[in-house]
Amino acid sequence: MSTIIMMTWKEMLRKRVVLLTLIMTLIFLLAFWFVARTIGMEFTNGNFEPGSMEELLNEFMQGAVSLVVGFFFASFVIAFLAIFSSVSVIAGEAEQGVMQAMIPRPVTRQHFYLGRWIGFVSLGVGYALFLYLAILGVTEYHSGVPGNWWSLTKAFLLFASVVPLLVSLAMLGSCYMSAMGNGVLMTMLFGAGWLGGMLNKITSAGAFGKAGETLHMIAGLLDMVMPADALQRRMLAEMFSLQDMMPFIDLAKADSLGPFAIASVPSVTFLLYALGYLLIALLLGVRAFRKKDL
Amino acid sequence: MTETERETVIRTDRLTKHYSGGRGCHEISLTVGSGEAFGFLGPNGAGKSTFVKSLVGLIFPTSGTGTLFGAPIGSLEARRQIGYLPELYRYQEWLTGEEVLWLHAKLCKLDKSYARKRIDSLLMDVGIGKRGRDRVKQYSKGMQQRLGLACALLNDPKLLFLDEPTSAMDPIGRYEVRGMLQQLRGAGKTIFLNSHLLEDVEMICDRVALLNNGRILTQGSVRDVLLEKSRWTLRVGGMLPEDLEELIETTALPITCPDPNPDAAGAVWIEVEAAEEEQLGWLNTLIMERGLTLYEVQRMKNRLDEWFMQTLSGLDQRGERE
Repeated sequence: MSTIIMMTWKEMLRKRVVLLTLIMTLIFLLAFWFVARTIGMEFTNGNFEPGSMEELLNEFMQGAVSLVVGFFFASFVIAFLAIFSSVSVIAGEAEQGVMQAMIPRPVTRQHFYLGRWIGFVSLGVGYALFLYLAILGVTEYHSGVPGNWWSLTKAFLLFASVVPLLVSLAMLGSCYMSAMGNGVLMTMLFGAGWLGGMLNKITSAGAFGKAGETLHMIAGLLDMVMPADALQRRMLAEMFSLQDMMPFIDLAKADSLGPFAIASVPSVTFLLYALGYLLIALLLGVRAFRKKDL
Repeated sequence: MTETERETVIRTDRLTKHYSGGRGCHEISLTVGSGEAFGFLGPNGAGKSTFVKSLVGLIFPTSGTGTLFGAPIGSLEARRQIGYLPELYRYQEWLTGEEVLWLHAKLCKLDKSYARKRIDSLLMDVGIGKRGRDRVKQYSKGMQQRLGLACALLNDPKLLFLDEPTSAMDPIGRYEVRGMLQQLRGAGKTIFLNSHLLEDVEMICDRVALLNNGRILTQGSVRDVLLEKSRWTLRVGGMLPEDLEELIETTALPITCPDPNPDAAGAVWIEVEAAEEEQLGWLNTLIMERGLTLYEVQRMKNRLDEWFMQTLSGLDQRGERE
């Protein structure tokens, strides 16, 4: 399996996926640097008594706003990296004829599939770690990162969990659909999850009155269809220890973070659901590939 | 060595892969012995590649069974002993030729020092040489086919499946590969060859099977096929009708002269069907003895070609319909 994993890494390097991603990430970080600086300058204008609760909350908000903006972009980047790196792995390589020479070798199909999966996931998670630390670093420089090591570690695990989730689903789709068809489906699914997140924010802000309940239910269903955005909301909630901060500040309210408000934080049960979703997608993918005619 | 004395390497029993529209291969039963070179022939769309893909574990049969070296087809045990050059394939374009071979060496779990020597020697043998350090995307189709052949031979397999191994090569490449296959055959390797190039099949294979619409029409030894009569044309100068009658009477061969009008050099074309080449040699001698001029002698068709055409003559071929 290590041969397949190494091959996957080499493929991502040689196809310049890693290079292009890093270049675009540097451009993003440059832009984010100025965003974080501007936010930092805005918040330092307040006249608070040193050591007062107001000053502490101000510092907290300063870091929170920068991080929420940064991770809003970062969640898209890691999601699309996970999707587009793995979306054509089975159907695309079978259509090109790459698999025809590999599969007759004495390697089981599940080893091949899992090797590719680990290759994509490890690369995606590695990139997620780099991006995560970079966003924290920039924010720390300009404002200060709220939270402690434990909350930041939990937040990272949730941030990176989107990678195996999306890779599992993209590879499963790739067993049944062409690269293009699977790419469109995955993008639409991810979009549906994001829409669910937006609906949650809008309905949590109290908009739409009674219709809001129906919309909230639709948002919940969309979260279940594609849990990626819900995982990102939970990630931010863990990062800011939202539960503990509730008596002092409510980041779910639209007046706290505007369109980036952290509403409808998914429960532990939902996290277990997302884990089950990931595992089932992975196992179904292995099963489909074992039976696939190439 | 007769077929019964050989160890059976490939055995299939009514192996079937059914696709919609009746495509695929149906109830194919055959055995190939150790050290044998087996030619699998048929028109386009006959189901040859489907059958080979079933044997190497790329597709799963709908019904029937098959074994390679006694192990079920598709099993790891069966796949350890084979080399396969697919018909439609591409290697990873982002790797160099040498890296492709290293990748396959690792998949075959070859010893590192053995793999090093084997890769270097195969790159030379197939004519890639130092271009092994170039990326595959810079290779021509012929070069990719050479790389495919090196890849198939990498683990020194006992059984080699070659699906159209020279289809993209120039005549020099074809000649080199043919020589290579003859060497492998001499070294006791079992070769299963899918090819439209019947000249290659005739020179390399011991036995052939002819497939049409997914079913085996006939199979037998190449020697038997070649023993059948074949047709020749001769360009003879100064020939008169009484000369032709005399030659027919003396040789008892079916000699005809489709166009008795002589060309500018005063020569006519005659046709003859002869089971043995000696009969043709005798006819040549008789022509010379009668004081006629023999300008040219040609075999009308490759003999396996002729057998192929005759066997398929008048039969419906699904490849033509599609």
